[in-house]
Amino acid sequence: MGFQILNSAPRGNRGVASRSFATKMSLRMLACVCLLCSSALATPAQSDVPVISGGVGFLGTSQGGITFFQPTIAPVVALPIGDHVLIEGRATFEEFIAKQNGETGPYHGHFFDTADYLQLDYSVNSRLTLVFGRFLTPFNIYDERLSPIWIHNLQDVPIIFVIGTRTGGSNDGVMARGALLARDSYEVNYTVYYSASNLANNAETHFGSARAAGGRAGVFFPRKRLELGGSYQRYMQDTHMNVSGAYVSWQPYSAPLDVKGEYAHSLSGEGYWLEAAYRLSRFGGPDSAIGRLSPVARVQQFFRNQQVPGDLLPSVNTQQVDFGLNYYLPHEIRLSGSYGREFSSLRNENVWNFAVTYRFLFPAWPGGSR
Amino acid sequence: MSMLRKRALVAALLAMACACAVAGTSAPPSQNRHTTRKQPATASATAEGEKRFRAHCGRCHNPPEDLSAREARAVVRQMRVRAMLSAEDEKLILEYLAP
Repeated sequence: MGFQILNSAPRGNRGVASRSFATKMSLRMLACVCLLCSSALATPAQSDVPVISGGVGFLGTSQGGITFFQPTIAPVVALPIGDHVLIEGRATFEEFIAKQNGETGPYHGHFFDTADYLQLDYSVNSRLTLVFGRFLTPFNIYDERLSPIWIHNLQDVPIIFVIGTRTGGSNDGVMARGALLARDSYEVNYTVYYSASNLANNAETHFGSARAAGGRAGVFFPRKRLELGGSYQRYMQDTHMNVSGAYVSWQPYSAPLDVKGEYAHSLSGEGYWLEAAYRLSRFGGPDSAIGRLSPVARVQQFFRNQQVPGDLLPSVNTQQVDFGLNYYLPHEIRLSGSYGREFSSLRNENVWNFAVTYRFLFPAWPGGSR
Repeated sequence: MSMLRKRALVAALLAMACACAVAGTSAPPSQNRHTTRKQPATASATAEGEKRFRAHCGRCHNPPEDLSAREARAVVRQMRVRAMLSAEDEKLILEYLAP
């Protein structure tokens, strides 16, 4: 059951080790961000203003009879410096509240903090941006694009999320990325990276970084809003392995439909998820009572190949189907609820989720909004 | 750091987010979003920027509410890296968000 809880929890809850180290790292990160913002304050004449954005939410989950709650806030700081440099970072602070003995006993809370990324981006030209520091692992699309709580359609991360993102979804190193080709009918984007291991590296800490190299390449067709891509990673920490993946993202102009999916393969096994959301905006427009509603469904499967210690994947073949409803209230507030059913040879169980999320964005100091 | 201080930190961040939300919704219209700031001279660029926004950014999220020109520059700079926008996309989307 412990695994299920970890697997259904947001990325910040995937490990519970190295708490003191985690706290220190978060405080260091926040201190750096504050320092940078302070230095930016000293130059008010610059045209760009640092912004703080992100999501805040309250999540509730009931899985196999165990209920837990997670108040979460994940601020993102973006600090432009000149025309070529941007410093950005995201931290996640959350409380994990559950009954002491799973299903019985009083509720207890555990605080988690995670430095998701803190990176310096140097834009060399329109085709190349160099990234230094701690960055989200660019394996497929979930980690980089869909992990914010106010973006993803279902609160549970996919089962295969941890394939390719074993160190909590972040790496410390250097990355190059950009739009290699940009035509009216198609665009080619790429990302390559190398990351080093750090002292906190293990499968449970979410401040770890593994020695790894990899990349992702995608082709985007703007007129169809269709993107296809693939990922590769050579994991060179502990058990060396090749990890590969593929993804699709399609949002046709002809319908308020959002289709996304991923496939991933590693030594541990392989699996996929496919998700579709449909905004009912055709019923009175996107701001009508019904038009704010968006049903969503996801199917996913994972096939275990062999046991690899610390891979955070189910120990047996697992399937899960989820159905959810998102309601987009004004002012960036969203209500979400979903029901899922997990099937495996170990257990079949229900997964219920509900969430209230709010997306915020404001300048780093008063007056910046003018 | 004690558990109490950690919880206080989370509470403070939540309060800050809520306060900013309230402040944002009560801002005068002149500071508000791009729909009220379009200039005739840049109408075509704004329309093209909206198209680019829908093609790239709109695949994952809607445009943020109450975005000033200065904020927009930082946001688009960030999204250029995240969404791997071309320089032209960045320029046009900025034109749309902060004409």
